[in-house]
Amino acid sequence: MSATATDTARRAPAIALADVGKTYAGGVRALDDVSLTVEHGTFLAVMGPSGSGKSTLMHCAAGLDTPTSGSVRIDGREITGLNEARRTELRREHVGFVFQAYNLIPSLSVEDNITLPLRLAGRRPDQDWIRTLVERVGLSGRLHHRPAELSGGQQQRAALVRALAAHPAVVFADEPTGALDLRSAHQVLDLLRALVDDLGQTVVMVTHDPAAAARAHTALVMADGRVVETLHNPVASQLAARLATLGDR
Amino acid sequence: MFRFALRMAAHRIAALLAVACAVLGGAALITATGVLAESGLRSQLPPGRLGGADVVVAADQEYHVSGDLPIALPERAAVPAGLTARLAKLPGVTLAVGDIGFPAAVTDPHGRLSPVTGEDPAAAGHGWSSAKLLAGGARVEGRAPSAPAEVAVAATTGLSVGDRVRVTANGRAATAYRVSALVHAPDAGIYFTDGRAAELAARTRTKTAGATRAGTVDLIGLRTRPGATGQVASAVRTAVAGTGLRVLTGPDRGTAVAPGAGSARSLLVLLSGSLAGIVLLITGFVTTGALGVAIAGQRRDLALLRAVGATPRQIRRLAAAQSTAVAAVALAPGIALGYVLADRFRSLLVHQDVLPARLPLTFGPFPALATVLLLIPAVRIAARCAAWRTSRMPATEAVAESRSEPRVPSRPRTAAGLLLMAASGVLSGTPLLQRTALGASATSIAGILAAIGLALAGPALVRTAGEAAVRRLRPGVSAPTWLAVSNVRAYAQRVTGVISPLAMAVVFVLTYTLAQTTVLAATADDTRTGTLGQYRLTAAALGGLPTDTLSAVRRLPGVRAAAPVGTTTVVWPYRMFGDTETESAAALILTPAARDVLDLGVTQGSLAGLTGATVAVSGEVAGPRAARPGARIKLFLGDGAPVEAKVVAVYDRGLGFGPVVLSHDLAAGHTTSALDQSVLVRTDGTATAERALTALTAARPGLALSDTAAQGGADTPPEVWVNLAVIVVLLGYLLLSIANRLVAATAQRRTEIAALRLAGTTPRQILAMMRREAGVIAVTALAAGLLLSALPLVLLGEGLLDRPWPAGPVWLLPAAAVTVIVTAYVTIELPTRRALRVPPAEAVRVGV
Repeated sequence: MSATATDTARRAPAIALADVGKTYAGGVRALDDVSLTVEHGTFLAVMGPSGSGKSTLMHCAAGLDTPTSGSVRIDGREITGLNEARRTELRREHVGFVFQAYNLIPSLSVEDNITLPLRLAGRRPDQDWIRTLVERVGLSGRLHHRPAELSGGQQQRAALVRALAAHPAVVFADEPTGALDLRSAHQVLDLLRALVDDLGQTVVMVTHDPAAAARAHTALVMADGRVVETLHNPVASQLAARLATLGDR
Repeated sequence: MFRFALRMAAHRIAALLAVACAVLGGAALITATGVLAESGLRSQLPPGRLGGADVVVAADQEYHVSGDLPIALPERAAVPAGLTARLAKLPGVTLAVGDIGFPAAVTDPHGRLSPVTGEDPAAAGHGWSSAKLLAGGARVEGRAPSAPAEVAVAATTGLSVGDRVRVTANGRAATAYRVSALVHAPDAGIYFTDGRAAELAARTRTKTAGATRAGTVDLIGLRTRPGATGQVASAVRTAVAGTGLRVLTGPDRGTAVAPGAGSARSLLVLLSGSLAGIVLLITGFVTTGALGVAIAGQRRDLALLRAVGATPRQIRRLAAAQSTAVAAVALAPGIALGYVLADRFRSLLVHQDVLPARLPLTFGPFPALATVLLLIPAVRIAARCAAWRTSRMPATEAVAESRSEPRVPSRPRTAAGLLLMAASGVLSGTPLLQRTALGASATSIAGILAAIGLALAGPALVRTAGEAAVRRLRPGVSAPTWLAVSNVRAYAQRVTGVISPLAMAVVFVLTYTLAQTTVLAATADDTRTGTLGQYRLTAAALGGLPTDTLSAVRRLPGVRAAAPVGTTTVVWPYRMFGDTETESAAALILTPAARDVLDLGVTQGSLAGLTGATVAVSGEVAGPRAARPGARIKLFLGDGAPVEAKVVAVYDRGLGFGPVVLSHDLAAGHTTSALDQSVLVRTDGTATAERALTALTAARPGLALSDTAAQGGADTPPEVWVNLAVIVVLLGYLLLSIANRLVAATAQRRTEIAALRLAGTTPRQILAMMRREAGVIAVTALAAGLLLSALPLVLLGEGLLDRPWPAGPVWLLPAAAVTVIVTAYVTIELPTRRALRVPPAEAVRVGV
């Protein structure tokens, strides 16, 4: 299965999963041989009811967790079989994260939070790029504040800048709007879409909100550890209906 | 609410374990101190050799101070002998015995001493009628002594009836006696005919003028008809009313057996009093600290409760209830442990000869009750204080802030901390003004005060220091270091919560131990330089030196000087700041001849005048008590007798020789044993002199010769051992609580660690960061501990040793440093490694 993109890149796909399976201790089969390709410059939404395996899929695809079987490639690099330290290094070079709970480090200022992954990698931050991002998300006046001094929407936008600071091959967003009010959620979704359309970023977003998923190029619907449907240019009502049928089963 | 509190507690076992440990240890320490105090007040010696007396009449061996505990008088005070006959006539009395005790020892036919195990040799000799006071059924083998040259002895001596023995009684040269009877009782002594005993003890009225105790007995024992004890006791009380004598029955009789034991009891009170302060300080510090960490770990839970409608009061009640539940669980084993600990402590005291082996501890319910009454309110208040801030915040803000910490340390808190440190500085000056053990103890209190000040002012100081460090950091510094410093700055409160107990441990060990060793060194120094005589002759086995010993020693070739030295206790009330202070003090008993064997460092007057009713006093007490040469002071001697004495000299070496020296004449008749306890001998230093002394000692069984130079260093006073044991126990408690606190603090950072990992920090970088934080914590704690102890210790050295550093073991500081570093490292490294085993995405989810 492949998610078609607007422009076909010559380079390897941003993410390529082949027959990925994940079984947790106790025999719970969270992923059942999922194959998936995400091309550069695309926005993919992963949907599904709770327990459908969408979070596990994201954790495996992002190298946060290791699959039990199959192969995962990020920007062409095989990550299965790497140890935690190697995977961490790969992640901070090639993958950005945005979480529902922001996960900013409370002891650091917004600016320090944004440059933290680069600092950890021993890389010099690309100041122009970061300034562009900060202006774009509207945090210019907030760089020296602590996370606790920002609103939820501002924190999530700061997390977004942090995710993008290292020019990652792909940004994973795990329920990025789950903790936000409608207005802030809209802002963040607009930003994500703009990043893909204007800057050619690649975004994979896990969500259970059909309205959020509708902003993506492609939406996958998962159930019982498998991809049961792929919708291009999805419409919220259509997604909601599809999810409702899954809920009925 | 309580059920709720328990539920929440169940989820925070790790952090609450720290609270439980703190309460358990604290309960054990407080209970143990309480047991010692209660024993000091209420413990009774077994009635021993008075077991057969139903009513005992004896002098009051306590000096009563209004509004304070009575002071024990260790020297036996006399009872008029004539009273015996009067009491014998009271209805219900079947037997009245006027008991006298005097030094006595038996030498068997081979010239070896036969030890009397049941009694102190200084009071082992009695008249035969005293044997009737032994607990009922003491079997007598043979017949009662009836001639002046007959004695009955305890069966424990191993002698047989009919044995020809020599008896050294009350300092007289050994005389031949025949054993007429063996007394089979564990508390039996040596019994002469009543007439002979009175003569030996110099109690007969016909004796010379020097016999100050003529016409007296030590105590009167009465036997009564069965069931008449109570009635007789009240009749006796009426008969002796107004004389100040005490009428004792039942377990109280034990106090009359040996007055010295009473002073051991009051030592227990004194000891527990001095322990109580430090124990309460450290227990409070440890418990509130552990609670602070535990509540901080639940801040989010509490904030969420606020969000769902709990009032601030309810939050504080919840925190208090939860802590009380944990404390209640820990109290029972803690109190039980306290009783065991007190018993171990008693063994140590007995082993160090501070406490008579016969004195039992009183295991009453009061220490347990006091522990509960002290700890539970303390825990409740501490928990409420810890939850104060979270409980008062608007609910939403509470949830938002729950992941970070209160960022601005409160101003009053910082001010209070700085004030405490300043107060500690002032207190540190005490040893300069008072060159005594008491003055030196101010050093440790000053140190602890400073450490508590640090705990209060710490967050502000750490924050300031952290900010300075962040500014100074080179831009190229590694990410883990940068993160560690940022954490220290941002979590000043958390870091201080860890640094201050570590610093306190350092301060505590340094000041407490070095105060002990410095006093010890200064005392030893005083004693060594002040003791001119090379030899000390004693006769503990005879109850004192035979009277002819002194002249015999003086006649020996090579002996330049010899003088008797005794010790006793005096009670000295004096005016201070308009109040009458009453203290008991150890006192030397000297003659003018002591000038040739002791150099007390006399600065005014001379010991030459130490005859008649005179005293010499040390410079420390002379000034504040207006006791300059020529002044007359009022004292109470060791048996409670009031005397007025003229001060003839003021001396410098008070630390080594005590605050007061009594003239031999003044003390005569007011000590349990009239004999000299020791003779200090100064020779020309030749081998001939030593040989002569050794020969003299060998020829007289019971004498012992010791070298004063060898004695000085090896003779560590028992208080030092006791204090060191206390330090070890308290330090163990402190370290355990620190370890607990560090582990809990690190375990609470799981979410933070997970967030860092999601942001791309490798496990290795996390470990590096945590190690650097551990390093910062250990180094800061050490530096703070050293800094806070420095002033008190410098002043201690100046005051006691005239040099700006204290005396003590060199390894103490490195050992303290290693302990601090290892503790910080282990307690941070292990929980971090555990936190790293959880996949970060999961940890964030669970932790949120």
